[in-house]
Amino acid sequence: MTGRASIVIVGGGASGVLLAAHLLKSPNPDLRVTLIEKSENFGRGRAYSTALPDHVLNVSAMGMSGYADDPEHFWRWVQASKIITDGNPAVYLPRAVYGRYLHELLQDNLQRERETGRLRLVRETCLGVSPTPSGVDVRLANGTSIACHAAVLAVGHDEEPSPEHPLAVRIDSPADTPLDDQASVLILGTGLSMVDAWLTLEHRGHRGKIVAVSRRGLLPSPHRKGNPIRLDVADVPLGTQLSYFVGWLRDLIRATQKAGGDWRDVLDALRPFNQQVWQSWPASAKRRFVEHTKAWWDIHRHRMAPPIYARLEKAVEAGRVRLVAARVDGMQERSGKLAVRLKHRRSQTLKTLVVDRVYDCTGITKDLSTGSIAVVRDLIDRGFARPDPLKLGLDVTESCAVIGETGSVSDKLFAVGPLTRGAFFEIEAIPDIRAQCARLAKVLAGG
Amino acid sequence: MLTKKGKYGLKALVHLSQMPEGQLAFVNDIARSNNIPKKFLDAILGELRNAGFVQSRKGKDGGYRLSRPPAEIKIGHVVRVLDGPLAPIPCASHTQYQRCEDCDEATCQVRHMMLEVRHAIASVLDNRSLAQMRDAANDDVAALLKYHA
Repeated sequence: MTGRASIVIVGGGASGVLLAAHLLKSPNPDLRVTLIEKSENFGRGRAYSTALPDHVLNVSAMGMSGYADDPEHFWRWVQASKIITDGNPAVYLPRAVYGRYLHELLQDNLQRERETGRLRLVRETCLGVSPTPSGVDVRLANGTSIACHAAVLAVGHDEEPSPEHPLAVRIDSPADTPLDDQASVLILGTGLSMVDAWLTLEHRGHRGKIVAVSRRGLLPSPHRKGNPIRLDVADVPLGTQLSYFVGWLRDLIRATQKAGGDWRDVLDALRPFNQQVWQSWPASAKRRFVEHTKAWWDIHRHRMAPPIYARLEKAVEAGRVRLVAARVDGMQERSGKLAVRLKHRRSQTLKTLVVDRVYDCTGITKDLSTGSIAVVRDLIDRGFARPDPLKLGLDVTESCAVIGETGSVSDKLFAVGPLTRGAFFEIEAIPDIRAQCARLAKVLAGG
Repeated sequence: MLTKKGKYGLKALVHLSQMPEGQLAFVNDIARSNNIPKKFLDAILGELRNAGFVQSRKGKDGGYRLSRPPAEIKIGHVVRVLDGPLAPIPCASHTQYQRCEDCDEATCQVRHMMLEVRHAIASVLDNRSLAQMRDAANDDVAALLKYHA
């Protein structure tokens, strides 16, 4: 990419904004960055649009800077914006606050680039992205298209329920029509998305019974302050089979606990190396991890703020929330209600649960080729992209370049954020996304 | 430091990487052609199997083979499995940490430099594959030229 790189970013959520901000650090006066977002919420994306104060960040304020090379940027903004805290940066702030931060970060960049015209925001739905001999053609819903040198997909999560459960709805989506406050509710998933949905229901004053179901029925663990042990990449086994790695991790946790530490101290110490561990594994280890270990990993790795955990624990004890370990075997509409057949994990028996509403909180995308993100589906249909072997996201290289149906690596189509889960594994949280954006910006704009 | 175990393990893997694809190597053959004590080699290959670098088949015509193409096996990954953390001296490792009784680790200049050495070791060994190690041995001149390039 020489002299006059014009780059279109599809998706103006957290990943898109952070990539734009990192690109604009380049001194290149001919750089043109266009950010396309279909909603008016530039910068907030899906994750940070919530207005509910109980929907807090899962990473403390100290880890949430938007810039890879300035880790205290967010915390300085929090203090400058007079957001009330107790002065301790180890605080889990509401996600709405972070949405505002991203929004202002984008506005700051716009302000700074007003003279140069290097940043442009386009509020429109993107229909498709087509590589051409000279660059990329980005088609918009208003009938126009934008020609650029490179396009980056920064679209995040599916917005519609997975095709496996067409009768389920996503919370706060248009299909989530008003519900009687005594209605019975089934939530698919018991992870952090389920916790968010439960908090939303609580906030709405919902009083009916809530059942949350997942294969293992496990809740995420709470955060606790600790002292992460020190780890270096030279200490971490790489490229082994899954069982070897898990054995090493368990031994290390046991030794740490014996020395008076906590399992969190080990998992937090390992965090900087998670991507490297994932990328070093053979395909068989990755597949086994997703099948057998991921559920266990997730509840330890993706934890919730302690006050929220305490409230949820109380609700479980009081019987208002019931956790069930089972698979959904089928779902039918029956005289205005939904009959859900569950196959229980231990007993393997089938039981039918009749509820008023089913919420899909299963989080992770299924197959993108049947998902609800039109741009991505279109690229896959035309062979310009393909799902990764484990169907966690799009197949991309370690430098974020999209890989086509035939295995050819594109030099003008890229992806960042959760879409790249297959190659990066942990790429949902800001600390990981900002590092990825910084690296890709270097490639695209030459630093 | 690379122990005998680490060295023998790498030699055995190089031996396996030279086999025609899919063919198994006998432990006796590996031991004889590389001057490795057979019993020691059995133990080493067992550990490499547990970590998923080699596969074995039992029985009369049993033996070992690589479980992945040699270009996908990194030398540093193998050394960690056989010798533990990559560290030039024991106090430079965090997980198998052994405190030196005779010095203060915070101010120890030796340890400080050895942490840098540990980084250098990892950056070399984690970027070299078994295939590269095998081919370098076959062609010393090419390897030398590459090194100076």
